[in-house]
Amino acid sequence: MRLIDAELVESRRILPGQWIQWYHAPALAASVRAGQFVHVRTGDWSGLVLRRPFTVNTADAATGIVSIHFREVGRGTAWLTHLRAGDRLDMLGPLGQGFQVDPRSRHLLLVAGGLGIADVRLLVDEAIRDGRQVVLLFGARDASEVYPSSFLPDELEYVVATDDGSVGHHGLVTDLVLDYEAWSDQAFACGPLPMLGTLAALAAGRTKRLGVATLGRKRGAGRPIPIGSAQARRKAYLQVAMEQNMGCAVGACLGCVVWGVEGPQRVCREGPVFAANEIDWEAAVGAGAHKR
Amino acid sequence: MKAKKRVMTTSAGVPTPKRTPTVRKIKPAWVGPSSVSSATTSGKRPTTTRPGEVGADPARGMDPIAALGIGDVAGSASPDGLRASRAGIDAGMVDLSVDLGRGLVLENPVMVASGTFGYGVEYGEVVDVERLGAICCKGTTLRPRQGNRPPRVTETPAGMLNSIGLQNPGVDAVIERYAGLWAGWRVPVIVNVAGESIDDYVAVVRRLESVPGVAGVELNISCPNVGKGGLQFAIDRDAAAAVTRAVRAATDLPLIVKLSPNVADVRPIAQAVADAGADALSAINTLSGMALRADRTGPFLGNTYGGLSGPAIKPVALRIVYEVAQVVDIPIVAIGGITCLDDVLDYLAAGAVAVQVGTAIFADPTLPIRLVDDLRAECASRGLAAYGALVGTALPQRPGPPVSKGAEYRP
Repeated sequence: MRLIDAELVESRRILPGQWIQWYHAPALAASVRAGQFVHVRTGDWSGLVLRRPFTVNTADAATGIVSIHFREVGRGTAWLTHLRAGDRLDMLGPLGQGFQVDPRSRHLLLVAGGLGIADVRLLVDEAIRDGRQVVLLFGARDASEVYPSSFLPDELEYVVATDDGSVGHHGLVTDLVLDYEAWSDQAFACGPLPMLGTLAALAAGRTKRLGVATLGRKRGAGRPIPIGSAQARRKAYLQVAMEQNMGCAVGACLGCVVWGVEGPQRVCREGPVFAANEIDWEAAVGAGAHKR
Repeated sequence: MKAKKRVMTTSAGVPTPKRTPTVRKIKPAWVGPSSVSSATTSGKRPTTTRPGEVGADPARGMDPIAALGIGDVAGSASPDGLRASRAGIDAGMVDLSVDLGRGLVLENPVMVASGTFGYGVEYGEVVDVERLGAICCKGTTLRPRQGNRPPRVTETPAGMLNSIGLQNPGVDAVIERYAGLWAGWRVPVIVNVAGESIDDYVAVVRRLESVPGVAGVELNISCPNVGKGGLQFAIDRDAAAAVTRAVRAATDLPLIVKLSPNVADVRPIAQAVADAGADALSAINTLSGMALRADRTGPFLGNTYGGLSGPAIKPVALRIVYEVAQVVDIPIVAIGGITCLDDVLDYLAAGAVAVQVGTAIFADPTLPIRLVDDLRAECASRGLAAYGALVGTALPQRPGPPVSKGAEYRP
C-alpha cells in the first residue's frame, strides 16, 4: 500500500455510462494482484470528502499502465469522467486481498454480473498467463450493456446472458453455471448481491450434486484451516468479490463491513475477495448493499 | 516513555478528586525580553512592547483561556522567555508542544480523531504516525462489540455519515494486541473509552490504568450510534458529571471528555464535566443525521441514524468550542471538519489548544502531518516561537490591547 500519483493516459466511454480509464502508475502495475483495488481521491472542489474504491481492471507491469472500469453513478465518478489525458490522480493502493487461485486449478469459471466484470477482469489475464483455461459468464440487463468482447483476450470462452434475451442466453447468468460446475476446479464471481447469493447456494450444493469423492489422504488433513485464511480461500470452490460503501480503505474506520459467519468482515482488509462460505448470505442479501 | 508522559499530581498516591487548573503557573507565550522582570516585580499587568503580536499579551493570565496548558508549555519549553525576533525564527525552532493536563504533553497539537485512525497501525505504511501530536484510538468497550449492520458509511454534502456502532474487540484484546506497540512509539496514544453504564466506563479505565503505552483516556460519552450508553451521558449534565467523576476517581490517567453537539446548550455540561475532574475536553463528536436509499424506500444506513462529520459540521463545532472556551478553564481539543491550516487556526482562535483531524484523513492520510508543518511555518512567519499566541484570539472579554508602549516603566 502506498500513495500513488497516477497520470491519466486515456479515458474511453465503452458503454452507455460506463468508462474505462488507463493510468500510468508503474509501482501499482507491478504490485497489484487480481481482485485488489485502489482508493481514488476525487477533486476537492465539490466537497467530496471520501475517496472512491475501484478494482484494478487491468495491469501491465511492462508498460506501467493500469486501468479502472466504472459506471457514472454519482458526483465522484462524474468528476472522473471529466479528466483528460495528462491529468493526475491520487491513488492509494493496492489494497485488500485478491483472488486466491489454487496452483492445481486448471479450469477457472468466472461469473460477472454487469459492472462486476471490473473485479474479475484482471483474473482473466492472470489465469491465461498461467496457462489455465477460463470461461467467463457474463450477465447484463440487455445487449447495450454487454461488455465488448474486443476488450477480452482470445483465449477466453465468453458466454453472455441478458435479462431480455437481446443477446446470448435469455435469463439470468446463474442459469448457465450448472453447465460448467463439473468442468471447473474453482469459480470466482462478482456482481449484484442476489446473484452472488444464488451462486453461493449453488456452490454449497455442488459437491453433493456432483458426487465428488475425495480419494486418498487429503493434503493437510487433520489440521484445521482457519476460516478466512488465504489457504482456506484457495481450497474453496467459490470466491466472491464483495462491494460496500467505504471510508478509509485501510481497515481503520470499520465502515465497509459485510456480515460474515464470524461477524463483521471488512471489505477493505479481509476482502474484497472472500470465500463464499465466509459470508452470511441471509444477512448480506437481506440488508442489501446500495450503491452510491 | 510512559513515565515521562504521565506525572502524578497526587500526594501519597491518593487521587485528587478535583484538579484546580488555575493553580498552574502561567507563563506567556511570548514575553518581550525587557518587559518580564519589571512587570513581575511591579505587580502591574505586563504588556508586550512589540506591536503586531496579536494575542501575545502576557496578561492572558487573567483570562480563562490562559489557564490552558498552552501558555505553560510555551513558557516551560524555553524558560528564559522566548526571544522571538521575527528574523530569528525559523520553522525548526518553533515549539508546538502542548500540555493537556496531568502531564499529557503532546509534541504538537494535531491529533487524529477516534474512529478514523483505527489503532494507529492501519495507516502505518503511508503515514509517519510518530510525527502526530497524539492518536486517539477506536472507541473501546469492556466486552467485544460487533457493531451495527451495514451499510455503515455514506457520503453527504461536504461530509459523511457513519454508524459503525463501536465495533471493537474489547479492552483486553486492545491492550494485548496494541499496547506493546504503542509503548514503543514516541507519539502518545489516547484510548477512547465507551460504555453502556458508569460501571462499564470505570472497568475499562481500570484496565487501562498503568498499562505501558496508554498515555490517556478520552471518555466517549457522546456516541450517537449505539442504542444503550453513549449519548445518554452526554446530553444530561448530571449523568455526564457522574461518569466523569467515577472515572476520575478510578484513574490517574489524563482524562479527556468528548462532548456531543446533540444538545441544546453544551455549556452547563462542559462546566459540570470540568468540575467533575476532567483534565481536558474534546469537542465535538458527530451530529446525529440520516440518509435515504437511492430508491427512497427506507433509511440507507443499517442503523437508520448515523453521525455526521466532515467540513459540513465545522461551523457547529466552532460554535461549541467558542462557547465552551468561555465557561471552562481546562484545555479544549477541537474536532470537526478540519481540512486545512485555516481550520486549525480558526479553532485555536476560538479557544482550543489542540485539534483532532478525522474525516479528512480518509481522503488525505498525510494531512495531519502536513498540518503540523504548516502550523510550524505559520508560527515562524508570524515570528512566534510557540503557538500560544494564536489561542483564543477570537474570544470576547479578552483583556484590552496593550495599554501603551512603555507602560511598564511607570513607577
